[in-house]
Amino acid sequence: MSYVKAANLQEALNLLKTSTPRPRVIAGGTDLFLQDWPGCLIDISFLDDLKIIEEKDEVLEIGSGVTHAMAAGSDLVKYKATALAEACTMVGSPQIRNMGTLGGNVINAAPAADAAVALVALGAEGVLIDCGNSIRRMPVDKLYAGYNHSVVDCGSEILLKFVFEPCKPDEGSAFVRFAARRALALPMVNAAARIRIKDGLISAVHLVVAPVKPAPTRLLKTEAKLCGKPVGEETWFEAEQLAAGEAEVRGSLLRCSADYRKHLVGVLAGRVLRTAALRALERKV
Amino acid sequence: MPHGMEIIDMKKRAEPDFQSSEVWSKVTGKAVYGSDLKLPGMLYGKIVRSPHPHARIKKIDLEAAQKITGVRAFLVAAELPDKPYGIVVDDELPLALDRVRYIGDEVAAVAAVDYETAAKAVRAIRVDYEPLPAVFDPREALNPDAPQLHEQFRGNLAWERNLKRGNSDQAFREAEVVVENRFSIPAVHSTYLEPTVCVAVDDPYEGLIIHTAVQSPDLVREIIAKVLERPLSKVRIICPVMGGGFGGRVYGNLKLYILSSLLAIKTGRPVKMKLTREEEFLVGRPLISAEMHLKMAFKRDGTILAREADIVTDNGAYSAQAPWVSKTLSERNDSVYHIPNIKTRVRLAYTNKIPTGQYRAYGNQAANFATESLLDMAAENLGLDPLELRLKNCVKTGDTTVHGLQIKSCSLSECLQAAAEEIGWHKRKEGRGYGISAAIHSNGSLVLFKNFRGASALARLELDGRVSIFSGEQDYGQGTHATFTLIAAKALGLNPDLITVYSRDTLSTPHSIGALGMRQTTIGGKAVQLAAERLRELIVQTAADLSEVPVMMERGILKSSSGRIIELSLVAYHHHSLTSGLSLVGEGRYVPAPSAYDETGYGNIAVTYSFAAHGVEVEVDKTTGAITVHKIVAAHDSGKIINHISALGQVYGGATQGLGMSSYEGYIFEEGRVVNTSLAEYRIPTSLDVPVIVPLFIETEDPEGPFGAKGLGEIVQIPVLGAVANAVADAAGVRVTDLPITAEKVFRLLSGWECEA
Repeated sequence: MSYVKAANLQEALNLLKTSTPRPRVIAGGTDLFLQDWPGCLIDISFLDDLKIIEEKDEVLEIGSGVTHAMAAGSDLVKYKATALAEACTMVGSPQIRNMGTLGGNVINAAPAADAAVALVALGAEGVLIDCGNSIRRMPVDKLYAGYNHSVVDCGSEILLKFVFEPCKPDEGSAFVRFAARRALALPMVNAAARIRIKDGLISAVHLVVAPVKPAPTRLLKTEAKLCGKPVGEETWFEAEQLAAGEAEVRGSLLRCSADYRKHLVGVLAGRVLRTAALRALERKV
Repeated sequence: MPHGMEIIDMKKRAEPDFQSSEVWSKVTGKAVYGSDLKLPGMLYGKIVRSPHPHARIKKIDLEAAQKITGVRAFLVAAELPDKPYGIVVDDELPLALDRVRYIGDEVAAVAAVDYETAAKAVRAIRVDYEPLPAVFDPREALNPDAPQLHEQFRGNLAWERNLKRGNSDQAFREAEVVVENRFSIPAVHSTYLEPTVCVAVDDPYEGLIIHTAVQSPDLVREIIAKVLERPLSKVRIICPVMGGGFGGRVYGNLKLYILSSLLAIKTGRPVKMKLTREEEFLVGRPLISAEMHLKMAFKRDGTILAREADIVTDNGAYSAQAPWVSKTLSERNDSVYHIPNIKTRVRLAYTNKIPTGQYRAYGNQAANFATESLLDMAAENLGLDPLELRLKNCVKTGDTTVHGLQIKSCSLSECLQAAAEEIGWHKRKEGRGYGISAAIHSNGSLVLFKNFRGASALARLELDGRVSIFSGEQDYGQGTHATFTLIAAKALGLNPDLITVYSRDTLSTPHSIGALGMRQTTIGGKAVQLAAERLRELIVQTAADLSEVPVMMERGILKSSSGRIIELSLVAYHHHSLTSGLSLVGEGRYVPAPSAYDETGYGNIAVTYSFAAHGVEVEVDKTTGAITVHKIVAAHDSGKIINHISALGQVYGGATQGLGMSSYEGYIFEEGRVVNTSLAEYRIPTSLDVPVIVPLFIETEDPEGPFGAKGLGEIVQIPVLGAVANAVADAAGVRVTDLPITAEKVFRLLSGWECEA
């Protein structure tokens, strides 16, 4: 087996093009370690280019090599993408959060990956570069090819960063999860929301829950019905009913029954919307 | 200070804390564990396991595997002894001969130059199976038409006990209040940090040596010698440092020891075998699962009149310790309270699942969960405070219980009151639920081996004046060495730093039953005390002989009547020269009187008994059923505490494991296959899940134990289960009767939804 630490992005791309046997990109390695190792690994976890967290021209850019610990500790993320910071504090254990990257969280393509759920709610897009140096952008939920399968080909391309609009003063976001224990447990349900409040009414909302489908899933019908509704307990209660009704979930021997999961989708949708809305209101003041 | 732990006021105690120096070798990473062992020429073994819950083995084809470079030997059942062995019931073979009986059953073994090559060979071995109908539910297994697992155990009945004390039929007829319910616990693994590992060496001169960390090396040695038909003195077990055991490693993994030994014999090379974590969950010996139908009769004033139980325990495919565990599960808890009339039926059923065994508290915790739950249901029915109901019925010093246990020291009533006081039983917070529960657990056993009830130890004065203690007991992290050091130090009046405890080698330490049944401090410690006291006598005699005047020994200092101080090393050398090389050795023999134990199992089964009462405070979120355990108060009567820091460690760890059983853990099966074979999915509590734990020691002075001490290790886990169940029921208004108590189960009951099977 060969293992190469790329000195810079260009070298990593060149190595992807030229290495045999077919190489695979490794970053934090926290998921890859558990799988069968490919014959050739190109390590991109040392590349500073992939570790940016910055706001440029009304766009928040977060490098794919940013670890969960870095995102959770960043004031910029905490303030302008609260859902992501919250999600990153809840991933795995301190060791996992120090090693695992946001890019890995998305490309590993677990249906309820916490950071991915938050990124979808925030409306993030992934920016990819292939070894021919061509760049493409895709919404994070479109990076999923199926259960635990990403459309990103780790043998020929690199996910550079996530980009999305930072939350404005009239916006708030939040993330919640429900699991069998307080750490190191896949969630029965997790949920993230981004909400905009105008004159006490919901003017825009993203509501994402998982695990529902292979990718973090926006509850589009619920979102549509919530737009224009006043901020308040009645609306959150309605959101619970709508979300539980819209999400089609499965049960699992290891996690929970389908009917209970459906109930949790509702409860968590209500909670995450309420928290996100409160943040939007507090921020304005 | 870890989260959830409170500092106990150390200044109030006379005795200082003592940490044996081996703790430092552990925390600095210098301790040598089984995984670290490497011997010259060593081979590595792997096992071919059945993918079927029940199947006939038609053919084992080694051809492809034999061609792999680096493979040194294979084992299949056809070449091995076909006499079944077992701990209680002889129902196992080293390898499956013609039939596999569970997923994971050992079919063949390979030794190779490294694990990777051995694993490759395992994958290359072709086994043809003919699947057979299988049975997974123990009650179904007892039906006459169920698939049969063992010819010699018709009806899949591995073991059965029908027990009657008094006249329960009459008591139920006369009862004013009767409560009954069904309870269940799943199989649980003791989840020690270090997966089982061993290195077997077959030395032409010294015989078979197995390096493995096991709680009862002498018991394992006897079984290995019998199975391999070796003279007992030519089998030796040397224990490296153990990465946790918690009762799950009393016998370790016999299969692994036998197969590595057979491979070592076959190859003439040391053979190392190590279970992966997945294998631990697949083939380790978890605590039996149990289904318990319980019924209790009361007088209107809360007096307990009778208890009836119909219990079915799940043996899995082979027996291990399950019969003994079933017995303890069905009986021990009856002695917490006065229950004059008892009727119990317990049946241990074979199923095509993982063979089961034991875990800290030997099934007593399952009975605690069921009985203490039922007591709260009774209290509600009777209109009594659950605490009052318990105080009215609990045993006390001087009692002889329904099964004949003689209670020589007991502060259970005080423990109940202290736990209630500390948890805020009478000062309840809004929105919180409170539960209380009580337990008894025996210290050692007078009846497990009727001719081996006690323990022995040697205390040797070294030439440099230091003292070595040799004991057959085991320190596997619970602090036995530190406790023994303190006991010897106290008996000799010496500084603990001058004392070293040696155990873990069947060649050099006295024969022992080992670390099980809370016998380390009480039984093993008593032997250490007697050995040290004997050594002290010998030292004084020898010193008198040396100085030719009477000698006194006080606070470890020898003084002659003429006022001269005599160094201990001088005494050691004097004896050394008198005997041309022998050391002064104090022998300690603690031989408790035999028990008048009749054929119904009535009689005093242990030298003494420990008691405990726990109080638990929880909060339940009724919208999801989510449970937050805020606090566990653990009030214990473990006699006089010898070493507080060890005792606190036992309480924090044991209470956490109890919480694991009550709220998180359990094997999940799908058609006999264990689904949760990783630490990600077999969920023990993380540090974030552990609440504040408040240990309280309500000391008694036990007449048997060393310096009044009693055991603590196992009993800690027991009351947590009942107390958590009762606290959750108090908070939620609904009662979960199948462990673990999860959010979903609580929510389904709250919503009136159908519960999962």
